[in-house]
Amino acid sequence: MLTPPSARVASAAAAHAPEVIRLAGVAKTYHRDGVPVAALRSVDLRITRGEFVAIMGRSGSGKSTLLHILGLLDAEYEGRYELAGTCVSGQSADSLAPLRNRLIGFVFQSFHLLPQLSILENAALPALYARDRERDACFAAARTRLVEMGLGDRLEHRPGELSIGQRQRAAIARALVNAPSLLLADEPTGALDSRTAEEILEVLGDLHAAGATLVMVTHDPEVAAVASRLVQIRDGRAHDGVA
Amino acid sequence: MAGPTTAWLRLLLRFALDGLAGQRGRSGLTMLGMAIGTASVVSVVSIGLLGRAYVVSLIEGVGSNLVFAYGTGDGVNPEEVAFDDLDVFRARVPGVRAMAPVLSSTETMSIGSEPEVVNVLGATPEYAPVRNLVTVSGRFPTQAEERSAEKVCVVSRELARRLWGDRPPGSDEWLRVFGLRFHVVGVYREGVESAAAVQKSEAAGLTVIVPFSTFRNLSPVRTVDVVYFQAQSPQAVSGVVDAVREVLKSRHHALSSFKVESLQGYLVLAQRVSDAVTLGLIAIAAVSLLVGGIGIMNIMLVTVTERTRDIGIRLALGAGRRDILLQFLLEAGILSLAGGIAGVVIGAILPWYAGVLYGVDVPVSALSVVVAFGVSLAVGLFFGLVPARKAANMNIVDALGYE
Repeated sequence: MLTPPSARVASAAAAHAPEVIRLAGVAKTYHRDGVPVAALRSVDLRITRGEFVAIMGRSGSGKSTLLHILGLLDAEYEGRYELAGTCVSGQSADSLAPLRNRLIGFVFQSFHLLPQLSILENAALPALYARDRERDACFAAARTRLVEMGLGDRLEHRPGELSIGQRQRAAIARALVNAPSLLLADEPTGALDSRTAEEILEVLGDLHAAGATLVMVTHDPEVAAVASRLVQIRDGRAHDGVA
Repeated sequence: MAGPTTAWLRLLLRFALDGLAGQRGRSGLTMLGMAIGTASVVSVVSIGLLGRAYVVSLIEGVGSNLVFAYGTGDGVNPEEVAFDDLDVFRARVPGVRAMAPVLSSTETMSIGSEPEVVNVLGATPEYAPVRNLVTVSGRFPTQAEERSAEKVCVVSRELARRLWGDRPPGSDEWLRVFGLRFHVVGVYREGVESAAAVQKSEAAGLTVIVPFSTFRNLSPVRTVDVVYFQAQSPQAVSGVVDAVREVLKSRHHALSSFKVESLQGYLVLAQRVSDAVTLGLIAIAAVSLLVGGIGIMNIMLVTVTERTRDIGIRLALGAGRRDILLQFLLEAGILSLAGGIAGVVIGAILPWYAGVLYGVDVPVSALSVVVAFGVSLAVGLFFGLVPARKAANMNIVDALGYE
């Protein structure tokens, strides 16, 4: 299988700058009914390759806002953000789409699989949207990831026909299909029962062990304990260390 | 952008089809709206063409490439076409296929017990083809009968009905004309019975036609009522009109006593009128196309709203705004195109089938099919643009269901 050029570029950049994420003075202010509300005041954060970081904070602390910024879902903020050696702050929405596609893999709390597609098609979507591989190669990559997640015999099933644990594993396979520089997990166990949650955390731990860079947002200290590093969001700033 | 564009389009087409398949009933109804709009445009054009062909056939039914000259009887010193003029017409008017001078008088006959005024025409055998007269039964007087000035006649269908009812006249029916017995050899009618609408038709109503020479010998009438010329082609018509005018001018005091006319003027007018009516009808039909387009916009707006999360997920996975825009434009395009195809089929088959039922040759304009097709696609894309832009410009965070 061909390595996607984007992955090669990303790893080349990472070799020079081992930092996957570098945030400097990132601030975000919402306007709610004309009243400015500071979600993030000034966040400085560095995450190096291979780290497994849990971001914690009370609800309303701005951890979701931080996740959106990290995931290039929200481009309207102040400060500087370098992702895998590329300055992404101030870039237009159109130029962020391919970066999001190649550099970031999302794992959502409620999976966000498309219900009308098979999980094979779901997992192939990021590769298909990347448009740098043949259709068959996209599906081959998706199949490989799904087999690794233990879903080899469920490829043609719709998400609705799977257990919730299987659904989250399919979503993880989808997040990995473009070999991203960063895996972003937003409360990945929030919708799971404790047994399934353990299983998913194990999968994330295995990915970390294999060298992946993971950032996980959670409010659950037990979940955060799986990570190798803890970042607390308090008063709109990031604080390293235990709660 | 890397990657072959056709593969990319195929992918987006696939997504678009998936989207439409997810809401079959709604897609079908939207297509139906488009189909009705397209079908009405196509069939209205057919109706317009049919009306135009009908009007043209009415006018041409009087006689194709026809030029006619007659004295109006108006003015200080009214003049009429003289017998001598006819030989000059034959010699000096080029481009004429056939010439048919007509003499005219009236005769009072008693039909049943009523006295009726009947037109008596004297005409050469060319008169029948030039004026598009059809024999209902029997025949017209022949050239031989014309040469020897036989006392034979044909009667109009109206007159035949009054005289003999619905049965055709026997072989030994006679009519008294100019005080003499004329053998009835046939019954005729006009090819298109609307000639009167275009101009006075001397052959309409209660009419007897006798050979020109017989009329000339027996009647005191010394002027020609009207002369018909059949030009060799439509292009030759105006030349014939000019040449006939020249002859009349050179042989009479004033051209103002005469009228030399062709049906071309009526044809052009009729075509213009039917074109204007067709255009008006198309404008009305286009409204339904517009309504269909608004239906597409409406449905696509609902679809985009319903699929907000789907769109958010695709954007989060790295779909570009162009990808989303094109996917929804394709959905709208497919709806309108499929509706357009169905509409063209309905709009072409319905008039055709009606034509088969009523034994009429209904024209279906290929141009109208192409235009209706193109317009329906354009309408779909135009009205699809607003919802597609709404989809493409979604805020990802909101679309994913945060907050």
